[in-house]
Amino acid sequence: MDENSSARLKRRLLGIIYRIGLFLAMLTICLPGLWIVISSLRPTVEIMAKPPVWVPQEISLDAYVAMFSGIGKGGIPVIEYFRNSLIISVTSTIIAVAIGMAGGYAFARYRFRGKSSVFLGLMLTRTVPGIALSLPLFFLYVRLGIIDTHFGLILAYVALNVPFTIWLIDGFFRQVPKDLAEAAQIDGCTRWQAFWQVEFPLAGPGIASAAIFAFLTCWNEFALASQLTRSVSAKTLPVGLLDYTAEFTIDWRGMCALAVVMIIPALTLTYIVQKHLVGGLTSGAVKG
Amino acid sequence: MKGFKPSAPFLLLLPAMIVLAAVVVVPLLLSLYSSFTPFRLTKPETFYVFIGIRNYLSILSNTDFWWAFGRTVLLLTIALNLEMLLGLGLAMLVEKATRGQRILRTLMMFPMMFSPILVGFQFKFMFNDNIGLVNNALQSLGITQDAIPWLIQGHLAFIAISIAEIWSSTAIFAILILAGLLAMPKEPIEAARVDGCTPWQTFRYVTWPFVMPFAYIAMTIRSLDVARAYDIVKIMTDGGPAGRTELLWTLVARTAYSDGRMGMANAMAYFSILLSIAFTVYFFNKLAAARTQIGAEW
Repeated sequence: MDENSSARLKRRLLGIIYRIGLFLAMLTICLPGLWIVISSLRPTVEIMAKPPVWVPQEISLDAYVAMFSGIGKGGIPVIEYFRNSLIISVTSTIIAVAIGMAGGYAFARYRFRGKSSVFLGLMLTRTVPGIALSLPLFFLYVRLGIIDTHFGLILAYVALNVPFTIWLIDGFFRQVPKDLAEAAQIDGCTRWQAFWQVEFPLAGPGIASAAIFAFLTCWNEFALASQLTRSVSAKTLPVGLLDYTAEFTIDWRGMCALAVVMIIPALTLTYIVQKHLVGGLTSGAVKG
Repeated sequence: MKGFKPSAPFLLLLPAMIVLAAVVVVPLLLSLYSSFTPFRLTKPETFYVFIGIRNYLSILSNTDFWWAFGRTVLLLTIALNLEMLLGLGLAMLVEKATRGQRILRTLMMFPMMFSPILVGFQFKFMFNDNIGLVNNALQSLGITQDAIPWLIQGHLAFIAISIAEIWSSTAIFAILILAGLLAMPKEPIEAARVDGCTPWQTFRYVTWPFVMPFAYIAMTIRSLDVARAYDIVKIMTDGGPAGRTELLWTLVARTAYSDGRMGMANAMAYFSILLSIAFTVYFFNKLAAARTQIGAEW
């Protein structure tokens, strides 16, 4: 075989290996999620079948219908959990972003003493494991009577989100050139006006994605929520998921259906913000 | 207070400081205090009994605790390293793709959208010894006849948890490293090739130093919430079988809420907090070092 054709063969072989590798990697990433979706559509008998039934024989939306038809039929009050999750996540996101915008702007536009240690200090409050934080919060909330309320969880989530929101928003403000705001100020804007009319619109998409990131953190949080909520009046979806597990049995199909309900908002939102998110993280972090 | 004029950044940061002080710092001081008491939930009066460092002393001699501590560090070490490697591999695979890169990138982010609790549940389902996908596949392919007790046997359970953890967090590394690869100028690579570098050398001495800060960003972000593993373990095994997958965090939760020994749990929690802080500070410094080393502004 001459050199040319052997080189071509090698190249083609490498191409095929590459494709297979990529395919396997993507399969590993997607399969667990797909399996959940498929299982939520299959009857329980099929899920439990031995030997396994690989190709679904019948597809039905029974699990979803049962879930949303209320206590008694579906087993757990999903609608209430969904409502709690939504109220708590949205409120705490709005507050966290407002606070984060002020903080992020301070880091991006001002020089002050101990800047990097303040930044690190803020980040360190975020590292406190949820479960470790839940111990004193649990105790305090019981004393203050805000255990098992929306307010208590919102407060905790705002604190949880503020550090990371500051990091992200700091990064987005850095991407807006300083000169623009200065030009506006020279033209007679106050700093306040310059911020709202020049910098805020430019950093807007970034701030929106920081908001979505904060929303997702609240939406997905479990360690704190599981200890600070007790009843239907404040439990969020991740905590509600546990309702499907009894001592020894698990309603796999129902759990899968609830998992799908939880994942759909997250999926949509992440898809929307993915581009900005990466930009904000890197630019904010690289320049610390 | 006359003559004191707070500066603008101070005022801007004030709300953040107030919230964090109220919800994080003050409660942590409270828990620091209660770690010096024999506080039990069932006996409120024990909150005011001061016993010095007796809780810490009894932790030091508690083998269960040290096992959990060691296991946590082991899990984090294995998971973070593998996540970094796999993330790097994945990022390079996707970067090479000529077509459909956008859709590949979206697929790659898929695991990031799963909350840890869902990841735990999903892998509990897949690793179920009776109806799980993994055992079903192994049996159908004839690799094994018996059902492998993934979540019931100690070591296997640890492996299963590590897999879940790695699956859920590799995406963060992949995405940030990919961002680094895409931001990288092409000239140095071409120059290296012209100078006769092998692909490995090009990667080791040109690509890797450039991408490293991005990997450290990912590490720092990850270390901000390493304790997410609590959710996964809580669902998959809840520390079982017989405490063989007990991590620091599940141990804290069990001591506090099941046993009601708040004082002891707070003392343990302080170890977990210090562990998290150590991880974060370490990667923060690495990040700063990597940044000055490459000296680039981007």
